[in-house]
Amino acid sequence: MERHHNSAMRTPLNSVAVQRRSKTKSYRLSYRSGIGAASRLGFTPGLTARRLNTSRKAPKSNKITEKVTKEQLALLVKTEWKLSYVTPLYQFRHTQLKSYSRQLSAFIAAEKQQGLAVDVEGTQNHFRVSFSLVQEMTESVDDAVTVLIQIHSKPLIARQDEPQRPVWSGWLTCINGNPEYLRSLPKDFICLPLFCSSEAGGLTSLVKSWFQQSFDCCFGPLEISHTSLQWLMALWTNCQPESSIRQLKMIWTLPVEPQLQVTYTVDAEDAWQLWSSVRKENTAGEGEENSIDIEEVMSFMQGLKGHFFRHFRLDLSAGRLNEVSTALGSAKHSGRIKFSNSKYMITTLMLLTECALLKMPI
Amino acid sequence: MAAQLNLSGPPDSGLSSLTDQSMSSQTSNRSLRVAEKERRKNEAEDPSVLALQYFYNVEAGTPVSGNDEVERNLVLVEQVAYRNGLSPEAISIMLEFAMSLRMGHSLCPRVLKCLIPVTVVPQEAVVRGVSWLGVGKIPVSTQVLFIKWVLTVFDMIDAKDQLRAIYGFIFSFVSEENLCPFICHLLYLLTSKQIVQVFRVRKLLELQSKLGRQPFLLNLLSLYKVFCPELVTLSIPSRSKSVFKNHNMPWKSALFAVQKRNGSQVASSISLASASKDGTNRRKRKHRHLEIPVLSSVVNKEPQTETSRRLVPLVQIQSVAELLENMDHIELPAQMGSLLGSSLALQYLDCVQDESALLRLNFWLGYALHEELLFCGDGASQNSEESLQFLDKLLSTQHFLQEGFSSSEAFLYKFLNVWDGSLLRPQILGLLSNIPVIPSSQIGRLLFEPLMQLFFTSSVFFKCGLIECLNNMLLKWLIWHSVYALEDDLDISLNSHTSINMTLSGFKDSVMGLVDFVGRLGSIGLQLEGCHSLLLSFILDFYTMVCDMFLKYGLPLVVLPPPGVFYPALFATDPVSVDRLAFIMYRYKVNLTSAKSQEKLTEQAFHISRQTFREFNNYTVYMVNCLWNSKMFQPGMGVQLGEELLLKSNVPQYWTSFDLVHHPAFMSYAIDFHQKCWPGKKDIDLDSIKHSKPWSWYLEYLFSQGYDGLELFVQSNIRARQGDGQQGDSLST
Repeated sequence: MERHHNSAMRTPLNSVAVQRRSKTKSYRLSYRSGIGAASRLGFTPGLTARRLNTSRKAPKSNKITEKVTKEQLALLVKTEWKLSYVTPLYQFRHTQLKSYSRQLSAFIAAEKQQGLAVDVEGTQNHFRVSFSLVQEMTESVDDAVTVLIQIHSKPLIARQDEPQRPVWSGWLTCINGNPEYLRSLPKDFICLPLFCSSEAGGLTSLVKSWFQQSFDCCFGPLEISHTSLQWLMALWTNCQPESSIRQLKMIWTLPVEPQLQVTYTVDAEDAWQLWSSVRKENTAGEGEENSIDIEEVMSFMQGLKGHFFRHFRLDLSAGRLNEVSTALGSAKHSGRIKFSNSKYMITTLMLLTECALLKMPI
Repeated sequence: MAAQLNLSGPPDSGLSSLTDQSMSSQTSNRSLRVAEKERRKNEAEDPSVLALQYFYNVEAGTPVSGNDEVERNLVLVEQVAYRNGLSPEAISIMLEFAMSLRMGHSLCPRVLKCLIPVTVVPQEAVVRGVSWLGVGKIPVSTQVLFIKWVLTVFDMIDAKDQLRAIYGFIFSFVSEENLCPFICHLLYLLTSKQIVQVFRVRKLLELQSKLGRQPFLLNLLSLYKVFCPELVTLSIPSRSKSVFKNHNMPWKSALFAVQKRNGSQVASSISLASASKDGTNRRKRKHRHLEIPVLSSVVNKEPQTETSRRLVPLVQIQSVAELLENMDHIELPAQMGSLLGSSLALQYLDCVQDESALLRLNFWLGYALHEELLFCGDGASQNSEESLQFLDKLLSTQHFLQEGFSSSEAFLYKFLNVWDGSLLRPQILGLLSNIPVIPSSQIGRLLFEPLMQLFFTSSVFFKCGLIECLNNMLLKWLIWHSVYALEDDLDISLNSHTSINMTLSGFKDSVMGLVDFVGRLGSIGLQLEGCHSLLLSFILDFYTMVCDMFLKYGLPLVVLPPPGVFYPALFATDPVSVDRLAFIMYRYKVNLTSAKSQEKLTEQAFHISRQTFREFNNYTVYMVNCLWNSKMFQPGMGVQLGEELLLKSNVPQYWTSFDLVHHPAFMSYAIDFHQKCWPGKKDIDLDSIKHSKPWSWYLEYLFSQGYDGLELFVQSNIRARQGDGQQGDSLST
């Protein structure tokens, strides 16, 4: 992850191409030059802007509850999600969800019983898939609407009237994605770079391969980097006055033999005090642009590590932050996240969308 | 009709073929007698024509048992069939005779078995045959036999349009349990897109639920899926082979024998199977991102209006001819990455103009490369066998297309920063050499910085590899330039989409940057590796191209090698390097002279700086002085050493040390020459070669050893042979 981080920061700053005037050949340029193609697609500073922001808005409690339906929200909040990044979907239509539901359920049925053809139109399927939109869960006009996928299944031995149980759910989202990147994509592409799935019964891989075959996209695992975890700690702690985080819990692993795992818990009030002490004067005001800087996050971390060192003579800088959790949510380096409070979900999703876009190959 | 009957060949007089037939011995004996009789009558009229006439005219209900006439005629036909095959007309008559059951069904199988076509099978006959199936009197085994026969001769049926027209009729037989496998095969061969309808899919699915997973149903359904993926979903286990059984043995050998005898080329591709995937046995692996997707058609199609051109999915295209035919209305596959997996599709990729399609391909390719080599830190080397195959595939694709993919380029810029220089070296260097021109403002950061680090920390073999790679890169840039320079006058123009425009001077800057970079790498690399001759050879390769940039590639740019490359090559201990340097200097001279004359001729010719001329003259003068005039250390030359220091070294006549006689690279030739010239002399006095006569002989001797570069250099730089004291000829600035 670190390696990737490095390299991502070194991606070309500016995109330039040697272009031929010749019309007959010009099409070749789209795969002629990486930087060339990028610029043709308007990526000019695109590749570069794709690094983790060094400054972001402080989380505001969001009125998400008013917009998103209760059932959807309950689902989004109660589950621990496994994260993936997805390259832009080709010819995905938000208006075709009904037909996608049918196709995906037929696909799952076919995959579950290899070598048996399945009628797409039929409804006799054991699995029922539903695609739905999570309206209004967007931050900017460029964001595509979030898509929620749920799979229900009927137990094999079931009474006629027994309702179908939900067995899997997942969603594709893009919250405040880099507008330059999003606008640079041709119209045929819908960018929903963040895929969250609940793991159950190997359905995740089936859903992924259906998406791959239907929209020519690729799924890759999305880890939450060290830096992102630190960002989450700061962002969550910043909410303390409005909504108690109860406690700030970190799990560190230290590279010693045998491996040492440190669980470090800080009381909410103490964390808040430390956080307010590192907040810069000018931004601490209640002004419109209440933004947080990476330096502040770093000094916050420094403060936490220093405190730990004074007590245990153990420098956490040598270790790796694996997991953070508060009452607002929890996040793991392996790419698992849980939102416990819907109010601050958007901020977290913005950070994750950024991470996912960082992973885009072009 | 009977009058026009004509069997393909004269009936053979030999009887041997008859004995092959599977008949009871009794019948066989009788047949033999009958045949014997027939043969005698042969001269009068072609009996087989009469036999066919008999079958054409025979009344319905004529008894078979004890009917010698039928027997005799049938034997005749069989005789011809097995020997030479039956003509289209004969096939029509016999098929009609058999299927109409005019003489009951006992003869039917026997007739069907001898329907060996010599050229083609008339479509009408087959259609009529199929129509008889509907009458319902034919025993099932005979029906099966008939369909099997149709399958066997399918490729020899002269047209298929009418058969397609009765697709629905044929389809109705799938519910006949015994016929179903063969009907499915026949339908498979006849299916086209329009035919695939919801109700047919339903019917097949219904059958599937009744019969279970039968391969024949599966094959037909998978073909339906190819045409209409929105109607049927199916995943075929990788193990199962989707090929119809080859159930046509009774005819195959006979057909083959007949064709062989006739020397005909009618190919009957009997094993017409569904587009079976290439038999790669995919190992199960954790990460599947290197798997090239299977070619398949799009499910969610845009609603096509009737007026718009009909699109043909790429999956359905089987040959280059078909590809060319449908070139302008091919439907791209569901996953663009699948194009890399099929050589036919690759041909098409070269013509793809759709920007979104190329972007899809690049997303997939970039994803695969990133996941395999950048993101998964731990398991990267474990999968190196697969990575290797993948990259080789990518490389051969890029070679085929003669250009690199933008995603592999973007990947390389990142990867170079973390590369250890040994993982998949040939592949990575291969990809690197496909990188298109980079603007000079970017080239340093993207390319030179990471490569410099790798170069100085790696073995001499890596150094050689990298120089070769940069050499290839430059070659591609130059070819690209020379191709397009011909196309339009101002060759590289700005494009409205780009933020920075690359003009000719921009291109020159990039090339200059690359050449300078290799010069720097070469100079320091030679020092580090003690003037390794292999490395030197690769560097000289590079300059062999650089010196000819103006004349060969039309690029108005002359860049000379740095001293760190020039002097090690001049003082190299192997004659080949010196010779190559001489050749390079000769080509520089030709290029510079030509550029200069063009400059005088036309106004817009490029200007070569005085500095370049000065450098060139210095090098040439030094080379001439050193090799020819034995004046190594002249004041104002590139290599200078204090007089005292030279005296201290105790080298006698140090100024001659690198002339053509004493140069370590040529000394052995000098001694050899000396021995040949003065065989009697015991003491070798190399200086004696320098006298006018032997000197010219010596030169001739050297040139005869294949040192053409040296010869060209001497011829172009030294005016006349006047013994010692000649001067190098320098270009005026």
